[in-house]
Amino acid sequence: MRIESHPILTFEKGKIVKFTYNGKEMEGYEGEPIAAALHAQGIKVLGYTHHRNRPRGFYCAIGNCSSCLMVVNGKPNVRTCVEKLTEGAVVETQKGRGELK
Amino acid sequence: MNKSASVVIIGGGISGCAIAYNLAKKGVKDVIIIEKEYLSSGATGRCGAGIRMQWGTEMNCRLAKYSVEFFETANEVLEYAGDVEFKQGGYLIIAATEKEVAQFQKNIKLQNSLGIPSRYITPQEAKEIVPHMDETQILGAAFNPKDGHLNPFHTTQAYADAAVRLGVEIMKYTEVTGIKVENGKIAGVQTDKGYISTPVVVNAAGGHAQIISEMVGVKLPLYSERHQILVTEAVEPMQGPMFMSFSQNIYCQQTPHGSFIMGRGDPTEPRDLRVTSSWEFLEEMAKTCIRFLPPLKDIRMVRQWAGLYNMSPDAQPIYGPVKDVEGFFLACGYSGHGFMFGPVTGVVVSESILGEEHTIPVDALSYDRFEKGELILEPSVV
Repeated sequence: MRIESHPILTFEKGKIVKFTYNGKEMEGYEGEPIAAALHAQGIKVLGYTHHRNRPRGFYCAIGNCSSCLMVVNGKPNVRTCVEKLTEGAVVETQKGRGELK
Repeated sequence: MNKSASVVIIGGGISGCAIAYNLAKKGVKDVIIIEKEYLSSGATGRCGAGIRMQWGTEMNCRLAKYSVEFFETANEVLEYAGDVEFKQGGYLIIAATEKEVAQFQKNIKLQNSLGIPSRYITPQEAKEIVPHMDETQILGAAFNPKDGHLNPFHTTQAYADAAVRLGVEIMKYTEVTGIKVENGKIAGVQTDKGYISTPVVVNAAGGHAQIISEMVGVKLPLYSERHQILVTEAVEPMQGPMFMSFSQNIYCQQTPHGSFIMGRGDPTEPRDLRVTSSWEFLEEMAKTCIRFLPPLKDIRMVRQWAGLYNMSPDAQPIYGPVKDVEGFFLACGYSGHGFMFGPVTGVVVSESILGEEHTIPVDALSYDRFEKGELILEPSVV
């Protein structure tokens, strides 16, 4: 299932681009939220809770709730529900709270 | 509902709760704390929550040392069910001017003579302690590994819980509307929830201390000044010490949770009771922070807020009685370091009330120092 419309955000469905998720090559539409691209590939676990390591998934979808924080192109704590997918993006599951470099 | 008390403490911050705890521990019954909102809702809960022993006068070094030693064992001494989260990662106070270099070296000699393990370090050594700092921005730094910061809400709650177990009553959401004085003596406190007859009132009202004092006709030489602060999202632990500069106007710590808390002063801040936030603060704070701690440019801020510094003429607290009004005691004028001196406040103000000799040397902080013109010259204040 692909998220096509959003009650608040608008995004253009661009051309098909390649990106990697934890090293695995995937495809999505340029400009759609990274979380939407992952969702379309059946990836529903975006991160894990700090204390009990429980899976976290897509939740507020508007950049508020911190449920979709991932490491994108080396940057931690990226809100993938509002971050647009780009060609060659490197998307990784974040372990812990993220390290600033 | 009318009632009576042996001591009424106005203000449910660190000072009020620490005073109540110390009184109750000494066996004083019927102590009441009156708090306008909730515990730590004023200056305490809005502060940067650092504790440093790196001061420039012997008295302040001794007071701060007492506080640090208390905080180290606060969870056990106060039998707290939670954790005050004392992170003893030190204070790294950077020297950005030649004047600061000289001042810090002089301060460190004094501090070392009092058993405080501070030392002067090079920019390279500073970078080893805070690897994400830009060491080219500094001439050197003073570092004391025993300084640190803790959680002001938990610390106040720890005192409050211990005080309540010893019989202290805390009246939250209760506002003092007047104080009754008869023949020069405190007679009672009027609140919006009723009258409390009492022979002793403690003014621990933080940013509102001058207003409380006016209720007994004492005009304190105090004013309140807004200070702003912000908190970021949490990241993995990367900064041990409180990073601070007097001349460059920044303090910045990383809480055990991982978020950064940072603040700075501004001479143009309003001198009243406003605790609103400004965008100018955010901009200036971000600029200063990124200059010294560049990787923080990638961190998101979560929110900002403000609190009141209760400023005294020499930026030092006022402790003890007021000679014109018998039974009226002051615990105010902290000028931005009331939280770190909380453990001292609790001890010395309870001693004042009970007429005991001070176990910590604070006589110089009495109210009559302003009359006598004996102000304290502390070079290391923000």
